[in-house]
Amino acid sequence: MNRIRAFALRNWKETLRDPLSYIFCLGFPLVMLGIMTVVNQSIPANAGLTIFRIDRLSAGVAVFGHSFIMLFAALSVANDRAGAFLVRMYTTPMKPSEFICGYILPLWLMAMAQAAPIWAASLAIGAATGVSLPIGGLLLAWATLIPSALLFIGIGVLFGTLFSEKAAPGMCSILISLGSFLGAIWFDAESTGGVLLTVSKALPFFHCTKSARSAVALALSFEDYGRPLLMVIGWMALILALAVLAFRRRMRADLA
Amino acid sequence: MNTYAVEAKNLTKRYGEKTAVDGLNLRVAEGELFALLGVNGAGKTTTIRMLSCLSKPDGGEALICGRSCQRESAAVKEIIGLSPQETAVAGNLTVRENLTFMAQVHGLRGRDADARVEEMLDLFRMEKTANARAKTLSGGWQRKLSIAMALISRPRVLFLDEPTLGLDVLARRELWRAIEALKGKITILLTTHYMEEAEHLADRIAVMVDGRLSALGTLAELEQATGQSGLENVFVAIAEGGAKDE
Repeated sequence: MNRIRAFALRNWKETLRDPLSYIFCLGFPLVMLGIMTVVNQSIPANAGLTIFRIDRLSAGVAVFGHSFIMLFAALSVANDRAGAFLVRMYTTPMKPSEFICGYILPLWLMAMAQAAPIWAASLAIGAATGVSLPIGGLLLAWATLIPSALLFIGIGVLFGTLFSEKAAPGMCSILISLGSFLGAIWFDAESTGGVLLTVSKALPFFHCTKSARSAVALALSFEDYGRPLLMVIGWMALILALAVLAFRRRMRADLA
Repeated sequence: MNTYAVEAKNLTKRYGEKTAVDGLNLRVAEGELFALLGVNGAGKTTTIRMLSCLSKPDGGEALICGRSCQRESAAVKEIIGLSPQETAVAGNLTVRENLTFMAQVHGLRGRDADARVEEMLDLFRMEKTANARAKTLSGGWQRKLSIAMALISRPRVLFLDEPTLGLDVLARRELWRAIEALKGKITILLTTHYMEEAEHLADRIAVMVDGRLSALGTLAELEQATGQSGLENVFVAIAEGGAKDE
């Protein structure tokens, strides 16, 4: 436990002292929240388009923020692998599970903390635009985002393990774009229907957004909340298992 | 039966067709500063990797203080320290934080960890840079920090892989002073390209050529064996094939 804490603290400090982490993990989601609110204001009321209304947008942006945490997870692992840092760490008594926990824990805390300014900005925007956001809904959404954050961090650790420090950010960029699109953050996939909805439902991102949105709205039926949350938990378990497996295999290969 | 700090028994490592280390036999006594010399690709780093549990040998055995690197790697990792060829420090952490981090990874906590960190800062004269982030330090200071991190757990055996590679002469001399201060206190196995470094620091010197141990002894013994004077001449004679084994 002592070793996990030490390694997690090192990763926490390394990430927080990188100014890019604030720009990507905090600044960018807040900017998107502002831009999409302006877009929403420009949509005629009779269009019936509510995707950018703050009570629906806030949860989507929180999930969008997780995709940048994924990027930093990938960078942490890939950069450590690229330099001699992991080589040094391999000669210490640290075990593979301790490395994995040390990478995941600080980023998970950051992902959870990331929701706070997004919720605060959403409440302010809601007050300014006359849309009320239930505090209970936001708190439930916060808890609902736990498996989503772990899912994205797991993908980041997986990418950082499988790809080089140059390739991993590129792969993450593709997934950030694809995830926000197929996660139905910027459009209403359920109204669109068709192949797009089928593909979206086959991937975890849609379920992340849907469960968080339903939580904010306190729409807690199994169809709206329970099923998508279970899907996210299932995907999270699968991705974390793959990330642990990939890291163990990489470590074994490095030590062959 | 004598227990050596470092013992390689017929140690062999192959990468595909190439044999990087070929039946290496080596014994390093407790407290000795032992230099491993060789041209690029001679097998020095591969040897260090096998001795520090970073690579599994294809044949033979590596022992640290009588413990097998293959079968008892967890126990071996408790008693070794490694400063790799590349400087392996956490760039966004300060010097003090890097040292504290390594102390905690090795199980030291609270005041014990703090005391050990202060000891390292003092030993390597890093008090003034203690609160500077590692990435802002010069190459020489980063290398000193890297060695201090390897020493924080009070290892019985310290591996230094090319510790002064790429450093200017002043930084190299400063690092030599730090390494000299450790002489006799712990066992040090050092690889280097710099003849004067081995000449200046080492109790005994081994020369590897094409993965094999070509010569081993004190400088005087190697000079006598090759009929040359000065380590550079001795090394050239051995590397070009004129060596006689110990």
